[in-house]
Formats: sequence, structure tokens, C-alpha cells
Amino acid sequence: MSATAASNDVMIRFRGAGVTYPNGVVGLQDVSLDIRQGEFVVIVGSSGAGKSTFLRTINGLTPLSTGTVEVSGQPVPRRQGRDLRQLRARIGMVFQDFRLVRRVSVLNNVLIGRVARVAGWRSVLNLWPRADVELAFSALERVGIVDKAYTRAGELSGGQQQRVGIARALAQEPEVILADEPVASLDPVTCHQVMEDLLRINRELGITTLVNLHFLDLARRYGQRIIGLQQGRLVFDGAGRDVTDADFQRIYGRRPEEDDFLQEAST
Amino acid sequence: MNRPAPPPRRLGLWLTILIGLGAMTAWSGISIGFSVSELVCNAAGGSRLLRESWPPDFAFLPRLIGPFLETVQIALIGTVVGAVIAIPVAVLAARPVSPNWLTWILDRNFMNILRTLPDLFWAMLFATAVGFGPLAGALALSVFSVAVISKLFSESVEAIDLNLTEAVRASGGSWLQMIGLGTLPQVWPQYAAYVLYAFELNVRGSMVLGLVGAGGIGMILETQRANFEYERVTMIVLAVLVVVLLIEQFSIAVRRRLT
Repeated sequence: MSATAASNDVMIRFRGAGVTYPNGVVGLQDVSLDIRQGEFVVIVGSSGAGKSTFLRTINGLTPLSTGTVEVSGQPVPRRQGRDLRQLRARIGMVFQDFRLVRRVSVLNNVLIGRVARVAGWRSVLNLWPRADVELAFSALERVGIVDKAYTRAGELSGGQQQRVGIARALAQEPEVILADEPVASLDPVTCHQVMEDLLRINRELGITTLVNLHFLDLARRYGQRIIGLQQGRLVFDGAGRDVTDADFQRIYGRRPEEDDFLQEAST
Repeated sequence: MNRPAPPPRRLGLWLTILIGLGAMTAWSGISIGFSVSELVCNAAGGSRLLRESWPPDFAFLPRLIGPFLETVQIALIGTVVGAVIAIPVAVLAARPVSPNWLTWILDRNFMNILRTLPDLFWAMLFATAVGFGPLAGALALSVFSVAVISKLFSESVEAIDLNLTEAVRASGGSWLQMIGLGTLPQVWPQYAAYVLYAFELNVRGSMVLGLVGAGGIGMILETQRANFEYERVTMIVLAVLVVVLLIEQFSIAVRRRLT
């Protein structure tokens, strides 16, 4: 898994990518790397290291200040508009805080994943085409909560809500899934269930998956490849099984502490 | 630790405010010729009016049903038309979701103009266009409803969870989808409450507009008063009281369930 893979199966390519926010904070600095199609990548680093910024540049939620990001050979557009929406349609995103419309049914939340493929007026009037509803149902089946399809999203537990979040991303039929701290709001048992879901989807469907994590043990366990960021810079890039405590010390700029581990009690 | 010194009493300030308010009230009272003595001297005339107004003419009640329906119908049309138009007006005036600065500032000013002009003004305006009658009343109340609902609703829209709109955008959603799927579902209960509140105001408003010829119960009230049929006037006032209370209680009960 070297950083210079053959270009035909490169999914995401960073070249000299940097982000400086309007308030002067540097979010990302001179990052160059390739992520191949079908990889399961875990990004680690302390808070403020640029993990979220890194993910958000891939679907253009945060625009780059310098350098380029390409998704399957196509540069991420810097302007709002049709090009950017079409790119985002191919990239599913899972959030730490789930970001579900709590008052609305699980099914309708998952259908939000179909927005880019359905005419605006149809989606807004809740007149979803049969085929898109079917896709939403099979996404719910894949994460095992299809029985909750007509429940209000706000009535579900945290772990169930995150599964709805994953189903929403799946409903996009994406080439890439970006998961920004998907387990940070969950208890340890649910944490593993959600990580297993993401890994299984990556294996079964071959969707390139990038996950931000701050727990080192989770990163080591699930990350086939680990990318370490510190103050916006790439400081580590290697296989999960090879990563040592010394590597973590380099990524975090300090010795790993108790808080950096999930403390696996149940698995 | 030292106890803090008590803050200075600003006696002078309060005294100035009190004297200022007193002077303004006195000036206004003298200007409009407000006098308690006149009220007392004319008490006899007032009591005669009251005697003539009692008992209420219950035989007149059946003839009120039609006008009452018309009043409520005017209010209903005004509320529905206003409620529909108020949605885009409110969304475009909510800063975090408004598409750009220019739209926002234009819509804000549009809302301010609607709100500044009273419903009677709109009734006169529409009366010159379509003639005095229920239509002019309904149109005036539509404008009034847009003003009331859009003002309240745009504040609700401004307070939504913006992270949800980002989830829609991250899936490749357009601005319309961000509004329809990420924004409005968060605020429908508040919207329904504001529409009901506007309906309450409109029932009262349509009675007042009736006084100036927009039809309904207000118009009957005005004709009976002009004919010195005070027992019928009392009947109308009592009926209005009951109907307004009923509608208010219904509206309050529904709104409590919504939020």
C-alpha cells in the first residue's frame, strides 16, 4: 500500500493540499497521498490535528486553499454548483452527531441520500420514485434496522441513529464513504457494532472508506491503513497492524494516555 | 474578601423619566381634550344607552349565523393564502439559509413594509381595486397574515440546527432540497402554531374590516348600530364574545399539543 499506486485504481489523490481558514487557522498543510479504490483507511490525530478538514476537502464541504484533491481523476470543484453536487452524490458522509431530522421517519432520512438523483420538486413534496424508496429499504436492510423504517428518527438509540446515518450514505450508492468520528458519541459496545458495519460494507460492496477516529485501539484494530495527522501535516502513513506505540507518540506529539483508548471491556 | 459597595442609586435618572412621562401624558390629554368631568356629566346618556341595550334581542340570533360564517370564511381565506405565501418570504429572510445577501436584505425590507402598514390600510387599498366587500377583506387579511406569520416563522427558521442542512448538501442536495428536506421539517410545528395564531387575529380582524364594509358580522353590527337597534347590538357583541373565545380556546389547545 504505497503512496504511489498505479493511477488507474487511485480513488482519491491529494497533491500539496492545504487549507487555511479565514481566521488564519491552518487546517491542513501540504498533504500528498493516494487512496486506492476499495481501501479502508483510518485517520488518527489529536483534536485539531486536521482530521475533519482532511475528510471535508474530499467532498468540498471545506474548499482547499492550496494544492489539489482529485476523486477518481476529477478535481473537486471549488465553487458551489452542479459539478460539486454531482461529485457529492458519489460520496456518502457519516457524521459524529448523526445529523438526522429527528421529527421525520427513518425512511425519509435515508431518502435524503437520494437527493442528487431525484428531481428537486419530487423530493421536496415527498413523492419519491418507487426505485429510490426500494434503494432506501435495501440500505436499511444492510445495516439491520429495516424494521424501524417508519419510526421517527429521534426515537432511536444513538447506535441505531448512526446506522440510519450509514444507511443514508449507502442509499447514495457511493464510491466513497467518509465517516467523521462516527463512533465518538457512542458507548463501547455500539462503537464496535458500527465499526463492524462500516468494515463489512467496505468488504461486501468495495466502497472506499475513510474513517476519522481518536481511539488508538479502534484505529489499530480496524484500520487496514492508518494515516496520522498532526497540526495539519501528514506524519504517518502505514498498515494498521504495523503501527506501534512509538508511532502513536509521534502522531500525538506525546505519550498515549488512558483517554486515547476505548478500554475494550466487552470484546 | 471585601463585600462590594452597593451600586449608586440613580434617583435623578428615575425622576427625569417620571417627570418626562408625566409631561407627555398631560400634553397629550390636553391636546385631544381628554377630561374625566365630561365623562361624568354624560353618564346619564350612557346609562340610557345601557338600558336600551338590555335585554339582548335573542330573536335576532338566527340571522347572525350567515354573517358569522362569512366572517370566519374571510378569516380562513386570508389565513390560508397568507400562510402559503409566508413560507418563502420567511425562508428568504432567515439569514443562515437565505441564498445571498441581496435577497435577504430585500426580503427583510419587504416584510417590514408589510408589517408597518395596518390591515385597515390594506382593506382600503384592495377596496379601490376590487370594490368594498368580502374579497377586499380577504385580500387585506392575506397580506396581514403574511406579515404576522413570516415575521415569527423566519425567527424559527433562523434557530434551526444548521448541521442538518449540511447533511443534505453533503449528499449532493440543491438549495431547494436543503430547505425542503433539511430545514422545514425541523420547524413545521412552530409554523402550524403561527398559522393558528394568525387565524385568531384574522377572525377579530375580519370583524373590524366588516365595520368598514368588508361584509360579515362587522357589517351587521354597523347597520344595527346606525339604526339604533341597541338590543340587537348587544346580541351581536355577546355572540362575538362567545365565538372569539371558542376559536381562541381551540387554537390554544391545538398549539399546546404542537410544541
